[in-house]
Amino acid sequence: MNLRIISANLVVRLTSFYREKTTMFFTIAFPIILILLFGTIFMSQDNVGYHLCVQDLDQTTSSTQSVKTLELNGEFKITRVDPAVNATQYVRDSKVNLVLVIPKGYEESLMQRVMLNDSNAAVTITYIYDPSSSSVATKMAILNSVLAGINQGMSGEPPFLRSVEKSILTRKYRFIEFFVPGIIAVSAMTLSLFSTVDSDTELRQKGIIRKLSTTPITRTDWLLSSILYQFILAVVSTITMLLVSYAVFSVNLHIDFWLPFFILLDVFAFVGIGMILTRFVKEAQSAAAAANSISLPMMFLSGSFFPIELMPGFLQKFAHVLPLYYVNEGLRASMVFVDNLAALKDSAAIGVFAAVVFILGIFATKWEEGA
Amino acid sequence: MTNEAEHIIEVEYLTKRYGELLAVNGISFTVRKGEVFAFLGPNGAGKTTTVEIIETIRTPTSGNVRLLGMDVTKKKRDIVPRIGVLPQGFNSFDRITVRETLQYYSRLFCRGKADIDGLIELVNLKDKTREQYKNLSGGLKQRLGIAIALVNDPEVVFLDEPTTGLDPVARREVWEVLLGLKEKGKTVFLTTHYMEEAELLADAVAIISRGKIIAMGSPRELIENNAKYLLLTLQSTDEKICTVVRNMGFEPVHANHKNIKVRVAQTDDVLEILNGIKGAGASFLSVDVRKPNLEEVFLQLTGEALRAAPPATVAT
Repeated sequence: MNLRIISANLVVRLTSFYREKTTMFFTIAFPIILILLFGTIFMSQDNVGYHLCVQDLDQTTSSTQSVKTLELNGEFKITRVDPAVNATQYVRDSKVNLVLVIPKGYEESLMQRVMLNDSNAAVTITYIYDPSSSSVATKMAILNSVLAGINQGMSGEPPFLRSVEKSILTRKYRFIEFFVPGIIAVSAMTLSLFSTVDSDTELRQKGIIRKLSTTPITRTDWLLSSILYQFILAVVSTITMLLVSYAVFSVNLHIDFWLPFFILLDVFAFVGIGMILTRFVKEAQSAAAAANSISLPMMFLSGSFFPIELMPGFLQKFAHVLPLYYVNEGLRASMVFVDNLAALKDSAAIGVFAAVVFILGIFATKWEEGA
Repeated sequence: MTNEAEHIIEVEYLTKRYGELLAVNGISFTVRKGEVFAFLGPNGAGKTTTVEIIETIRTPTSGNVRLLGMDVTKKKRDIVPRIGVLPQGFNSFDRITVRETLQYYSRLFCRGKADIDGLIELVNLKDKTREQYKNLSGGLKQRLGIAIALVNDPEVVFLDEPTTGLDPVARREVWEVLLGLKEKGKTVFLTTHYMEEAELLADAVAIISRGKIIAMGSPRELIENNAKYLLLTLQSTDEKICTVVRNMGFEPVHANHKNIKVRVAQTDDVLEILNGIKGAGASFLSVDVRKPNLEEVFLQLTGEALRAAPPATVAT
């Protein structure tokens, strides 16, 4: 290992990067776009409110009061539907996914139950819904819980089973704060993987690797300078993302030595994978496709964008063999939960993986024989 | 035991096989210190494979190759700092300037005090030092490649087809640089398929065809030993000339509607042909008689080799 050679290589690669304005723009802009896009989505999820259409066929004081109760629940933004229209047709025509219909005779039945204590007096609320909508089931579940609460209140008895929420965190975190570490992990992965595959394939195709093999630079010098280069880019990208996250979303994240350490392990792992891929990718044109085949499953199955608990059981098990999963978990352990022990365990998992693929990558990199 | 002062490169029975393909077939030659050695051959003859084995980039299948007195398969680390290489189809980093590129390669050789300005002057790139590589023309890129090959002040310089793909002006510019190297007394190993280049620059020439060396010597020796004839060229638009020459028992080696080329053994044959043409009432515009050049020798030799060699033996 020759530090002078490594630094010479690093200078050339950073200079090339600096002068390639398009690459530089996308390296910095891509993670910012992701943060802003997903951050905005998740910020609004923290204060989620569903749109609910209500058709009050009873048009009495009691039915109006019940609609107001739904509104005051805070989960729904109510749109009133004219009692004269056909609710089913309304769902079809207005592209809404649910209309709650309060039947005629609502107040009369309510009076019978409350005043006359007639337990046979009951009202059927109808949900007219579009089953193809993904959010309709959630809406109906919330409505059922509200109706159950009203029924329980009308019984006059205190509930037997109560529940209380206790977070394991010392303070309330927003989804964006879980999301930012995931994006940092994804960003370092894509930078390392794509840059290694793209640039090494191009340099090999152009014969630059062959020229370098006639100089004293060794394969190890070359690979270490690549790692250092990717690490610097990943750190720049991470700092940019954190600054945007703090400025736009006022995130509250804990930053310590684990952050650069996990970025370094992330870079090592995916530069290693990139080097192995480069061994098999002959043309620069197929390099991006090869890198995508690795990065896309990692992005969507390792819990970077959404919790793996939302995935089917077998995919959850699969997530545990993905290296990016341990980077995500490790970064969240250190930045969100401030749990050093968990971070240590995750760093060990990704560290072992990175070491193995990096060594395989060194052997896979063809340096002599014209590379 | 190698006498390094005499032979900087020694190749003995070198063979390189890629699966079933025999790229280099048991060749042997030596290169003396301070000479420009041209390795000539058509595309796919085995030139680049041979030079890359000597440069330590490839490993031979069999045979011995010694460079600067060292075995190329065992002493790569010792050899590399002492040689300079311009590989075939040389390329460099697109966004790096001429000066930065030279500084980069100089640092790879750990030569902090390399004479970058001297190299820039040598290859005549003084007004291009701040130009990025991607903006250079083909000729300028090759000149930069030659400067890079010299950045470590090497004892041997390998130039693999340094003028391929260049226009005639750019080619002549590169030749100027190579003549400068020759004047400096550098040992240069030049592979090319341009005979004119070898004739102009080389002290010694080896001609390789289908992985085998078919002739070796100085350009003058090769011409004298392999082309004992004169080349008569007649410029004419008279179609009768070709028939007249054939009827006189001379077979044209090249004929079209403008030129006819005939190999003749002696000057008397020239007079005989000219008199014959005059007697037949045919006319010509001009006449040129000269000794054959290396190109004609090469065509003659490789033509014979192609006819003699079995078709299964093919070089890269």
